[in-house]
Amino acid sequence: MAIRHVALFGLLTLAGASSVFAQANRQSPEEFRRMLAMGTKYRTATEFYAALKAAAPGQGRQMPAFNQLPDWSGLWTAGGGGNFFSPGPGGSAPKLTPQAAAALKDGQSNEKNGIEYDENLSQCGPPGYPRWLVIPFLREFIVRPEETWLTSETVNNVRRVYTDGRDHPPVEERYPLYYGDSIGFWDGQKLVIHTNQLMERSMGRNQPTQSEKMETVEIWQNVNPTTVKADVWLFDPELYTEPWYVQRLYTKVPNEDKSLRIRYWSCNENPNNDVVKTPDGSTNYKDFQFDDKPKEPAK
Amino acid sequence: MMRRIAASAALTMLVAAPLRLEAHHSAVMFDDQKEITVEGTVKEFQYTNPHSWLLVDVTDKDGKVTTWGFEAEGPNTLLRNGVRPADLKFGTKVTITGHPMKDGRPGALWMKAVRDDGKEFWPGGRPRAAAAQ
Repeated sequence: MAIRHVALFGLLTLAGASSVFAQANRQSPEEFRRMLAMGTKYRTATEFYAALKAAAPGQGRQMPAFNQLPDWSGLWTAGGGGNFFSPGPGGSAPKLTPQAAAALKDGQSNEKNGIEYDENLSQCGPPGYPRWLVIPFLREFIVRPEETWLTSETVNNVRRVYTDGRDHPPVEERYPLYYGDSIGFWDGQKLVIHTNQLMERSMGRNQPTQSEKMETVEIWQNVNPTTVKADVWLFDPELYTEPWYVQRLYTKVPNEDKSLRIRYWSCNENPNNDVVKTPDGSTNYKDFQFDDKPKEPAK
Repeated sequence: MMRRIAASAALTMLVAAPLRLEAHHSAVMFDDQKEITVEGTVKEFQYTNPHSWLLVDVTDKDGKVTTWGFEAEGPNTLLRNGVRPADLKFGTKVTITGHPMKDGRPGALWMKAVRDDGKEFWPGGRPRAAAAQ
């Protein structure tokens, strides 16, 4: 039985496995349906993104000056949990492929029986994207005209969004990536992102697995000075028979005394966090090392 | 001295339900229907990602010392909830409450610790009922 590492954020998805996006509840059913329909008009994320770009001022080819960009400085966070399969406001449910529906049913059964193991995070792997959208803890959004970094302290992950007019790499150079390849453009104060080249990975504890065909379109913008929302459309024909839509809200973390900082996050630093996969497929800590001699306090 | 609190369903509901910590954990290795409270001295505060561990030496009535580990979230979550590494130094006396491991090992999910000067530490944030007091 392989030794695994526990990952706190891996555990976090339990709460989300049975819940909808908390933020999504803030949308009215009408608004949710309108946003969902924006994506379902298109067969692929590439087509959707191209249409948004064509409709933007200057067809999305103008790189704004730095002082024209929104101020997303500081630290941000989102509540943990949420998933990509629960119904949206008003009860609209995603249309799943048979294999995704079966995987979801299996996951729900495991959850009901208290069986949970995370093939990604329990081994200290990165959460990957789009799961990145639902992980908790602190984030920083680094905005520059030519590039935006969407970062999270969790295992130091960074999503680089190129807004300098470049396209995705040529097909011959593409390979699966944890966070995919993201390009974007600014439509006024809105950052529009297209992501492809994603890796086949679990979308969360007891959740179905996304395929390498997964592509997304995101629109990021301020709701108010302390809230940024991301409207996200997911296209994966191996999961959804129609594109699905979710919304996430990220709120600014009060940090008046500037005591909070994002620091290097090593998932392997503490062996007490090692876990094993149990015979029933669940998770347990491997060994505690609490009986080592006490460490003397630093002088 | 160690004392165990047998958790009744009602007690668990009252105490555990409002804790944000609970909402953030699968609790598959911890029994969220039980609580344990021990008194001891801090052996080490492992202020690490993705989990922190507060190690507490607990002496039973026969003088045997057992080291208990209380698991919490990582440093930035602890800082946001007012639990600093210097708050619980080696040798500090604490009374600490958590959800114990299902398999009986001396580990628990840290809910609340009370230092000998009365200061409380809630690594997952104070529940609404406690915060209102």
